[in-house]
Amino acid sequence: MDKKVPRSNIIETEIPMGTVHPAALEPYRVRFFVEDEIVQEAEITIGVNHRGIERIMEGLPVEKANALTEKICGICSNSHIWNSCRTAEMGLGIEIPQRALYIRVIMGELERLHSHFLYLAHGCEVLSHETFSMRVFYLREIVMELLAMIGGNRVQYGCSVLGGVRPRCDLDEAKLLRLKNDMDAVEEGLTGFVERFLADSVVQSRITGIGVLPQKQAIELAVTGPTLRATGVARDLRTTMFEYDEFDFNVITQPDGDVKSNLVMRALESFESIRIIRQAIANIPEGKVVNRDWEMVDTDISESYIEVPRGTLYHSYALESGRVRHCIIRTPSMANIGAMQYACIGDQITDAQLCIVQCDPCFTCTDRAIEIIRR
Amino acid sequence: MGIKSFSRARAIHVMLVYTGGCNGCDIEIVNSILSPRFDAEQYNVFLTWNPREADVLVVTGPVTHLNRKPLEAIYEAIPNPKLVVAAGSCALMGGVYKNCYGDIPSEEIEGPVENIIPVNAKVPGCAVRPQDVLAGVVSLLPTLLDAD
Amino acid sequence: MFENILANPIIVVILTILVCFIISTLLPGIERKYIHARIQQRIGPILIAPGIMAPLKFMFKENVEVSSPVPGLYKALPIICFIVVLCVLIALTPQAYQIPALASLVAIVGFLKVEEICYVLMGALSKSVMSVRMPFPDKIKGAVHNNSNLSFIEDISARRSLRMITYGSFPLYLALFAPIVTARSIFLQDIVAYQQVHGPFLFTVSGAIAAFVFFIGYMIILNEYPFSIIKAKSDVIEGPYMEYAAKYRAVVYLTRGFFMFVLGCVFSVLFIGVPPTIMSVGFLINILVALIFVFMMGIFSAFAPVFTNRQLLPTILCTTLLGILAIGLGLL
Repeated sequence: MDKKVPRSNIIETEIPMGTVHPAALEPYRVRFFVEDEIVQEAEITIGVNHRGIERIMEGLPVEKANALTEKICGICSNSHIWNSCRTAEMGLGIEIPQRALYIRVIMGELERLHSHFLYLAHGCEVLSHETFSMRVFYLREIVMELLAMIGGNRVQYGCSVLGGVRPRCDLDEAKLLRLKNDMDAVEEGLTGFVERFLADSVVQSRITGIGVLPQKQAIELAVTGPTLRATGVARDLRTTMFEYDEFDFNVITQPDGDVKSNLVMRALESFESIRIIRQAIANIPEGKVVNRDWEMVDTDISESYIEVPRGTLYHSYALESGRVRHCIIRTPSMANIGAMQYACIGDQITDAQLCIVQCDPCFTCTDRAIEIIRR
Repeated sequence: MGIKSFSRARAIHVMLVYTGGCNGCDIEIVNSILSPRFDAEQYNVFLTWNPREADVLVVTGPVTHLNRKPLEAIYEAIPNPKLVVAAGSCALMGGVYKNCYGDIPSEEIEGPVENIIPVNAKVPGCAVRPQDVLAGVVSLLPTLLDAD
Repeated sequence: MFENILANPIIVVILTILVCFIISTLLPGIERKYIHARIQQRIGPILIAPGIMAPLKFMFKENVEVSSPVPGLYKALPIICFIVVLCVLIALTPQAYQIPALASLVAIVGFLKVEEICYVLMGALSKSVMSVRMPFPDKIKGAVHNNSNLSFIEDISARRSLRMITYGSFPLYLALFAPIVTARSIFLQDIVAYQQVHGPFLFTVSGAIAAFVFFIGYMIILNEYPFSIIKAKSDVIEGPYMEYAAKYRAVVYLTRGFFMFVLGCVFSVLFIGVPPTIMSVGFLINILVALIFVFMMGIFSAFAPVFTNRQLLPTILCTTLLGILAIGLGLL
């Protein structure tokens, strides 16, 4: 695949879209520079969502700061609180009960399922395929109810706390049984959807070869997560995380880096998530879910990377008399913005929003810490 | 019930504006309108993305600085009678982001939504539940029906 | 007394139009509730909501200043569209056969062309708040291309409708001309008379192919998914209709349902030989054809994504070739 180059010299006109647009789930501005409906260059402006959450976290007690990280993103809220707790636990050397680790993995994988389903549904919606979108949203509802069952809320569950998980999120027999049955239902529904989706030649012609992100370019742009794996690089941080040591799963890759690869990749990854959840249900150890036996000390900057549904998430902060200092958060979409701008080039303007959506944008995550200098 | 209120009760066009929340409310609302589980269309609530078509504007998020003017522009583009639903704690009171700098007024957060455009109904929750959003939109019906 | 009134052709035409109009307001509701919502496994709106209640509601809304360089023309366009559709229906009624200039296919094709040109003008004249006019600091230090010229999203839509005029509407017109070739006349009267003698054109090989081509053309001219490129939600949102509010939007809504019905009538006249008039039982066939078309369109659109230019061109090319085949078979 040849490298796509922004061809600035033949730009005919500029079409700005946003900050409110049906194809975008969140506010951002994108300017397409087009020549005869073919996008030659794209510029995504973020900062529309900037709320300065790291500034709010600075100086807060670490428990409060952990709860606050959930508000970074409404899609991967659990990942943020998980990673934030993990950072403090690494710094303070807290040992986490095995059962809590399992529950965290279950929550993480459920969240991956709901994020991937949202991606599939949103992708279909941007394709203007309302029926497929509705079907995936219907499947997603099962996962959302499971999350609400475990965490008590449909979006921000607040599952992880320092030293384990909230006792509310403990899984008893009835909950495990429901989880198990619903996983069967989700798998059945997803299998049906994927079969239909792949057999639909109209949809396939619409998504194959669109928004291609070549592997070399993806590595150059430091793309992370499923967007990188869809270009054929088998890089998944879950293979290095100690939480996942006891689980057996495959790292899914797709060869092409186009919209089709991305969508299929999310669908196949969802099956792996279901597999992990099943293993967790089968082997969940007994014991307490939270370790309260630790002491707060001042720590140096500790950092933690985890694999979240959209890529690599990085949290780091130091603790000073129980309060958060020097907080830095780096979310996956930050790295993927370059890929979004790149993927649009050379495609029809109708596909351009699709190319942005294929990189799984989450600008609310991204727009938290960029310093905006306004004069 | 006159023909005006009769027709208004049977076709409500809702437009969503996200003004920089955490995405949680946005997705719950899209979910409530798009997913067959909640299916807002059975209450004759239709989703639209064109301000000229809308009757009810659902606003989420604490209205960040860059979102203020677009929100105002969209509000002005909606023909009367129009109603605004503020959904989620951020839209109601700025949420966790409002007190970003303690007592110093925040430059980033212009919200809550009330400061910028008049709000007719408030849907609390972090994040709002789809049922609540539907209830909020439907609770506006009497106001909408009696409007000129 | 009553028979005397019905003897007057003008009153019959007006009654026919009224009945057609009332039935046509139900069609968008039928499509939305009984097809889209059923396929998507949900309840859906009530039957009268999209077609009757929404326009009524818009009637009672306050008018706004439209943002357009020529507001007068922009506001007049939906009314022109509605009148054009009305004229097509009048031309189809048997009472209009007295006026050969009106009741000929050339007139119908001309009216449909006016409709298409209206889309171009609408797109070019609409300047909505959703793209360029959105107050956002785009051109700032550090941004790429600070001196590019700006286009509204409706401008793309206008350019697309122009493209649709040049090649997108071929299938429909080819399908319209297939019956002419068989009946050897451009006058609707002769086409209807020919079919009453020889049986419906639909049941010949050429007619069946032409009917399929007509269906594709029907969806293209109605801008229904998957051919809704001029108002695709993923980029141009609503395209030409962006700026219509209140009464004008009501007219847009009504025109759509009415156009669905009238195109169904066009089909029943050209392919089955049943002109729409409330004076005969054949009117039921007109309604049935319109309903079947709405059903087919609903099913087709529920299972298809929007086509971009890449898919549109081959689809239209194939359909055009089929249309030429139908005409060729008719000539033999």
